[in-house]
Amino acid sequence: MTTAQTVLAAGGAVSTGEAVTFWILAPLALLGAIGMVWARNAVHSALWLVLTMLCLGVFYVLQAGPFIGMVQIIVYTGAIMMLFLFVLMLVGRDSSDSLIETLRGQRVAAVALGLGFAALIGTGLFRALEGTSAVGLDAANANGNVQGIAKLLFTKYVFAFEVTSALLITAAVGAMVLAHVERRKGERLSQVEQMKARFAPGNYPGPKPGPGVFATSSSVATPGRLPDGTLTDGVHSQILPTRELTSSEAAPKGTEK
Amino acid sequence: MQYAPATGLLSTMWLLVAIPLASAAVLLLLGRRADRWGHWLGVASVAASFVLGLTYFFQLRGLTNRSVELSMWQFIEVGSLKVDFGLLFDPLSGVFVLLITGVGSLIHLYAVGYMEHDPGRRRFFAYFNLFVAAMLLLVLGNNYVMLFFGWEGVGLASYLLISFWNHLPSAATAGKKAFLMNRVGDAGLLIAIFIMFATLGTTQFDEVFTHVGALTGGIVLMMGLLLLLGAAGKSGQFPLQAWLPDAMEGPTPVSALIHAATMVTAGVYLIARSNPIYSANPTLQTVVVSVGALTLLMGCIIGCAKDDIKRVLAWSTVSQIGYMFLGVGLGGGAYALAIVHLLAHGFFKANMFLGAGSVMHGMHDQTDIRRFGGLSKYMKITWLTFATGWLAILGLFPFSGFFSKEPIIVAAFARHGWTAWLYGGAALLGAGLTAFYMTRLFVLTFHGPKRWTDEIEHPHESPPVMTIPLILLAIGSVAAGGLMATSVPEWLTPVLGPQEEAHGVLSHTVLTVLATAVTVIGAGLAWALFRKGTAPQELPAGPVVTAARKNLYTDAFNEAVFEKPGIYLTRALVFLDGKVVDGGVNLLAAAVGGGSGRLRRLQTGFVRSYAMSVLAGALLVVAAFLALQMGWLA
Amino acid sequence: MTEIGLPPINYGAITPMLILFGASCVGVFVEAFVPKAQRHLVQLVLSLGAITAALVTVVWQADTRTVTAGGAIAIDGPTLFLQGAILVLGVVSILLIGERSLERGGPFVAQAAIVVGSDADRNQTVRQPGATDIYPLSLFALTGMLLFVAANDLLTMFIGLEVLSLPLYLMCALARRRRLLSQEAALKYFMLGAYASAFFLFGLALVYGFTAGTPSGSGDNGGGVDFATIAAAVRNSEVSPALLYAGIALIAVGLLFKAAAAPFHVWTPDVYQGAPTPVTGFMAACTKVAAFGALLRVLHVAFGGASWAYTPVLGAVAALTMLVGAVLAVTQTDIKRLLAYSSVANAGYLLVGALAVNKQGLASTMFYLVAYGFTVLAGFAVVTLVRDADGEATHLSRWAGLGRRSPLFAGVFTFILLAFAGIPVTSGFTSKFAVFGAASGAGHTWLVVVGVLSSMILAFPYLRVVVMMWLSEPGESTPSVLVPGGLTAAALTIGVAATLVLGVAPESLLDLTNRAAEFVP
Repeated sequence: MTTAQTVLAAGGAVSTGEAVTFWILAPLALLGAIGMVWARNAVHSALWLVLTMLCLGVFYVLQAGPFIGMVQIIVYTGAIMMLFLFVLMLVGRDSSDSLIETLRGQRVAAVALGLGFAALIGTGLFRALEGTSAVGLDAANANGNVQGIAKLLFTKYVFAFEVTSALLITAAVGAMVLAHVERRKGERLSQVEQMKARFAPGNYPGPKPGPGVFATSSSVATPGRLPDGTLTDGVHSQILPTRELTSSEAAPKGTEK
Repeated sequence: MQYAPATGLLSTMWLLVAIPLASAAVLLLLGRRADRWGHWLGVASVAASFVLGLTYFFQLRGLTNRSVELSMWQFIEVGSLKVDFGLLFDPLSGVFVLLITGVGSLIHLYAVGYMEHDPGRRRFFAYFNLFVAAMLLLVLGNNYVMLFFGWEGVGLASYLLISFWNHLPSAATAGKKAFLMNRVGDAGLLIAIFIMFATLGTTQFDEVFTHVGALTGGIVLMMGLLLLLGAAGKSGQFPLQAWLPDAMEGPTPVSALIHAATMVTAGVYLIARSNPIYSANPTLQTVVVSVGALTLLMGCIIGCAKDDIKRVLAWSTVSQIGYMFLGVGLGGGAYALAIVHLLAHGFFKANMFLGAGSVMHGMHDQTDIRRFGGLSKYMKITWLTFATGWLAILGLFPFSGFFSKEPIIVAAFARHGWTAWLYGGAALLGAGLTAFYMTRLFVLTFHGPKRWTDEIEHPHESPPVMTIPLILLAIGSVAAGGLMATSVPEWLTPVLGPQEEAHGVLSHTVLTVLATAVTVIGAGLAWALFRKGTAPQELPAGPVVTAARKNLYTDAFNEAVFEKPGIYLTRALVFLDGKVVDGGVNLLAAAVGGGSGRLRRLQTGFVRSYAMSVLAGALLVVAAFLALQMGWLA
Repeated sequence: MTEIGLPPINYGAITPMLILFGASCVGVFVEAFVPKAQRHLVQLVLSLGAITAALVTVVWQADTRTVTAGGAIAIDGPTLFLQGAILVLGVVSILLIGERSLERGGPFVAQAAIVVGSDADRNQTVRQPGATDIYPLSLFALTGMLLFVAANDLLTMFIGLEVLSLPLYLMCALARRRRLLSQEAALKYFMLGAYASAFFLFGLALVYGFTAGTPSGSGDNGGGVDFATIAAAVRNSEVSPALLYAGIALIAVGLLFKAAAAPFHVWTPDVYQGAPTPVTGFMAACTKVAAFGALLRVLHVAFGGASWAYTPVLGAVAALTMLVGAVLAVTQTDIKRLLAYSSVANAGYLLVGALAVNKQGLASTMFYLVAYGFTVLAGFAVVTLVRDADGEATHLSRWAGLGRRSPLFAGVFTFILLAFAGIPVTSGFTSKFAVFGAASGAGHTWLVVVGVLSSMILAFPYLRVVVMMWLSEPGESTPSVLVPGGLTAAALTIGVAATLVLGVAPESLLDLTNRAAEFVP
């Protein structure tokens, strides 16, 4: 048993240091959680979540669970969330969800219910546990925190622990099933073939300009122009009719200030 | 009363019922594949039952306790109600088995010829076998529930066979009429069985009869009246007689077997079987006698006015069963007399029905006796066999009726006081009227000038397959009465009690002379009136004849008293059901539907809204727990 | 530093789970190494063989009554009965899943990753044989279900819940036709399932807190989430019972979600409709057994001492479930949605039985689960048969006049619907009778009243379908009823026969449930 643990694991009364740390980090954790839901951008959202998880990791350490605290920070925050961020970057960090709510009253009701549930559970726990102190912490950590967890994992919960392998296999199979497309030989293009196809006559190798680029109007219906001034297809929605504005239409209307 | 358990050969008596039943099942299940040979299977199965029945009968004669019971399995067991599936073979059921299978075999044989050109012959035989099986179950059951099974089975078979030609509206209607009127009777029987169970806790014959003496008079009376209602329904007795003549819409073999020889006598069987109940209450007996006397006169009077050969025979059946009811109602030794008359009637009435069928067969299905005449020349065998039946029903010495009907008349005169004159007189008058209308029927059909229409070029005799049964039945008509007059009552003693000599207000000899005289007068009158034929159409007539033609207004009575109010009641109920009940239900349905439509909108298809409903649910559940159990939030 | 030793494990008792787990791993290998052409047959035989073997071991273990694997697993009467039920229903489900004669390549998509609506997608819809990953996934799900009903502590139960759920989410996404609907269903099921799992975990934590100070199986006073400790804490704990009640409530939310009780049923219609029909049948039959198996154990063993506390609240949930299921079934226009709401209502009836915390309630609920499982599988089997060129024709208007087209299948379906409606001579009647009998025996008459009321409402949509099938003229758009292949025919026959037999002669199964209806302490 290390000194740090002894300090932290002082069963019963909450020490001042613990209280101060809690009151600093708890709002941050909440802020992170709210921020995660609030952020429009997925990357921001993930980063907010990282904040919450970090705070939680510290809480675990404070609660005399240094192992789980470290695992939280290293595995969740360090590995899983980073992996998550990679995926987000790959998918495209610009793609942000529309946050327009189509269901009437949904948002208000959801917030009200969420607050209500939190209040109910929070006050309930507070009233139930007011004045109670933690028990069994010393016994749990008697042989060291990691050893304690190991003992539980390999005795009482050994079956549950082993069965999680089924979960992992299922998850792997699921990822394959949902994401893997089998290509037959010949369907797959090599790098050389892809390059050749890209510069083949009739294909424009660069990115196409957006609607209205180099055009006389910024209407979404106005096709973009290539640098040589020719109009190009496929830069605006196909359901819109392609049209060039007449000069009178394109002329300033005198309404803008 | 103690029944001996069946041993040896008698323990196979279930075969009696099983063989025709299996045959019916085969015929119905195989469908058209059995069309070519199905009718012979039908005949063979009934004949096999007859042979078996004879074997059992002789077995029974060798026993000392001639009531043999075969309990097969516990059929119903609910609480204290236990009903065995059991059979009882005793002298009474023995003679019925022989009548049903014996006459049944002959009529089956006859039907092979009669139904030859009918496309539904296999189906007909299937129903016919079904009937025989059910009828055998009826007389063989050892408790009232078994009897009721058979009772319903014959009702069903009768319904199916009356409306066998269901493409004819009249046949379909007649089937429904028979079914409905029988239901009224069946309800009576059923309630009687309920009462038995409620008061005695059993429906086994032996137990019921042993304990019936312990019941109060009111309950016995009630039970007896309800049984009588059942019996009247099945046997076409007043007030449920109207269906029987209409039932003649069925094929003639059906009329002969079911509506003359066997099924309609089930009521007599029921009362004879329940004799301890009836003997226990004199009032009950008086009611039965009155029903019998009234019905026998009614049947005679209406029979005089009918012109349809089968209807006349049908009303004569009603009237003859009236004699049997009179017999069973008189009680004591008359029970056996009724059974003797029943058996004799089974022969001669089946004979005459089949004869009528033979006549119709030769006359293009003409049934109007005003359109017959002089057929004796063309159908010799039919004529002669019909004549034996005619003489038998008249009751002239030495034909059956003399030995079977006469004793009932004598027994009726053996009652006390003025009732002797009332019931005896009715029976005597009935004998005269019977002679009149049966002679009328016979003369108009077989003698006098020919009155048939031109399309019938020449009437012909029926094929041997039809005439052979006729001849056999004719022999029965001549001989049965004489043979059974003393042997059968003796044989039935274990069931119906010993015979006693009846001593009435008039001596036996006087009555015999009187009855013969009345019969001869009636017959002579009819012969004189109809020797020259009759008008081919219905002529205007006085009130009595008109009333008789209209079935003594009983149909009109039924219509006015039961049918019309029934229709109005139904209409009222339909109105009530439509407006009030359905309205209420519809309102509820609309409420449910509306609620459903509204609730459905909560099912938006969006996960976030679903999650919210889960959250709301969780919130409510937690809050409810804490509020209810912790008293918080309160 | 103490030695950590593996707790004794009765391997015989957990063999069924091990067999299924092993077979699912082998199935994954089959996917990798067996040529595509033979995979379907190999997987089908493997799955059926594994389930049968597991079933045999369940029967072999029939007299085992033990708590093993460090207290995590309880093998007792209800466990074995429910495991047997899950496996039997699992066989029938696999028969439906394996059917390939109704549609070229079977009911599952070849490659779920191909974008819906692309040329490749159109190509694979009509040509390529379906993915056989479905078999190992089903076996994983069955493994989870076996564990779910055997779990003797909340943590193992939670793992079991996840093991059974995760494959189900995937299976929902694999429909060959209407793939967007199928994927949407899978996503909804996954998200809401995860959401409900969170409630379960929250409840678990609260209950763990409640057991603080109660000696646990391992001897210390640290509490625990195994049912024996919880039961001891319920009897005698110094911690405020608020933790217990909130814990029960949240755990119940998690379990009732899986069991599809209102208001946690919201996923059911969408998922039942979107999932491939054989998978829907699998969920309706097997998942229901598993969910109620776990719920029964939790209510009887862990919280049995507090039954007076949860009965009013969960009773209200049961009543709401019955009414919501019945009322919403009235206006459905899709046969799969209708059956989904019917399954919601049935969850209510089951809950009525589960709330009768005594032997009779336990036995009748287990009977109901088996009876309902067979009937619902037969029902969905018929749904797979009614097809047109675009796959299954599930809209009710298309079923009009089906009685004229195919009297046999319309007759079978009518029988099934009558069983759902609880008409005598079907298992629906006996099982409802048993459950309501148990409830009234436990004094929950009001639940019985609501139950009968909702049955009456529910009879309406069933009979509407019957009337539609028989009394309407078939139109041009009336789909044909395919002659089922051997597997579907077998599944249908088993389902209908069981429905009839359990309706006519339920004694032997009732006896079995009665003998099995005792938890180990």
